[in-house]
Amino acid sequence: MHNEDYIASGVLELYAAGALDAAERMEVERMAAESPEVRAALLDACEVMEQYAMLHAAQPNPALKDKVMARIQQGQRVSTEEGPEAWALYPEPEEQGSGPYKWMFAASIVLFLLSGFMSLRFYQNWQDAETRLAQALASEQQLAQTYQTAAYSLDQQEQMLRVLRDESYQPVRLQGVEAHPEAKVLVYWNPEEEKVYIDAVQLPAPPAGKQYQLWALLDGKPIDAGLISLERGQETAMQQMKGIKNAQAFAVTLEPVGGSANPTLEQLYVMGEVKS
Amino acid sequence: MQNQPIKNIPEEELVARLRAQDASAMSVLYDMYSPALFGVVLQIVKEEETAEDVLQEAFVKIWGSFQSYDAAKGRLFTWMINVCRNLAIDKIRSKQYRVNQKTREIPASPRALYGAVGFKPEHIGVREVTETLSPEQKQIIDLMYFEGMTQSEIAEEYNIPLGTVKTRARSAIKALGKLFKGRA
Repeated sequence: MHNEDYIASGVLELYAAGALDAAERMEVERMAAESPEVRAALLDACEVMEQYAMLHAAQPNPALKDKVMARIQQGQRVSTEEGPEAWALYPEPEEQGSGPYKWMFAASIVLFLLSGFMSLRFYQNWQDAETRLAQALASEQQLAQTYQTAAYSLDQQEQMLRVLRDESYQPVRLQGVEAHPEAKVLVYWNPEEEKVYIDAVQLPAPPAGKQYQLWALLDGKPIDAGLISLERGQETAMQQMKGIKNAQAFAVTLEPVGGSANPTLEQLYVMGEVKS
Repeated sequence: MQNQPIKNIPEEELVARLRAQDASAMSVLYDMYSPALFGVVLQIVKEEETAEDVLQEAFVKIWGSFQSYDAAKGRLFTWMINVCRNLAIDKIRSKQYRVNQKTREIPASPRALYGAVGFKPEHIGVREVTETLSPEQKQIIDLMYFEGMTQSEIAEEYNIPLGTVKTRARSAIKALGKLFKGRA
């Protein structure tokens, strides 16, 4: 197309009025670059439209300039269709654009570290709690045992007290014989109910395979009254022996384990007469 | 820079400084052109608040994409006004998309409100322009310039042959050119 025809076609005016699409615009720009005539006509048309724009000029709010300048000074930019290739020439300072992502990244790391730290803390707390629970269980068991012991011991004391308070019981003091002056045994005897208890046993520990045996003596005849157990922890308790109806005296001898039918008199330790 | 009087420095110098990312040149550019650009944006979006948003975006975009401005292809102001118009038209298109049907019927009259806000003595007034242009010519120019319609859209929408659209646009700009040149 001849330049004059092109100028006369009205396309330059459409360009100036902004009524062309992108492809048409590029064509006009190409033509203008090739021909000074077209270019001059195009600039004329554009200038007219500029002046038309000027007619509608309006003063924006003065505060807007500060906003614009602030954003420009921040270097905040909006990507554009016109000039994406320009970015490479003037690389943006680091902190822009990637800002939110950087923050998000940093925040995610902080959260990750925080969650790790919390996990460790909770694990440690859990371990602590486990240990303390085990301790509490052990101490509770111990307490239960102690209570059982105490209850048992109380039982024994009550029994002892019952015997001591009961007037029908007769105390018989067995004194050590010449060979064993330090030995002592106390016998509580209720003839009516045929009950015998021994208490405050002070006898030397029996040698291996030997055991003390209590005898009741009636008219010079010894009657087996039971074996004395000297278990540890039972020192304070009274020990119930075999029932005896009649007796003039009590004695304790050392016998082989399991006891004898007749007392071994050489091994007599203590003896006491019943006071009538 | 706020206190400096508005100074019109040569366009080549301004362009060179902007190309060198000189922020103070942006301040000058703003003072020189913001009323004209704001006026056009206001014509398009018809809402002062929206127009300010658009103008702010436009200046940021002008600053950011200045490397893409090619002085050989056209005037600085034409380039800037295109940036503004594109942003403003995008804005109303996205907005209109929602309320399209209702606003369609309303003729483009609200802009009469803003017509002479930035009137300056050295410029020719709107009244003279309207007297110079026929209503058809003015309508075509405004539809293009302030509504962002393409020639084919106008032809379709208003049932005008495409050739007539071109002819009217051409004659309108010629008439305007005569008016402006005659006074200059």
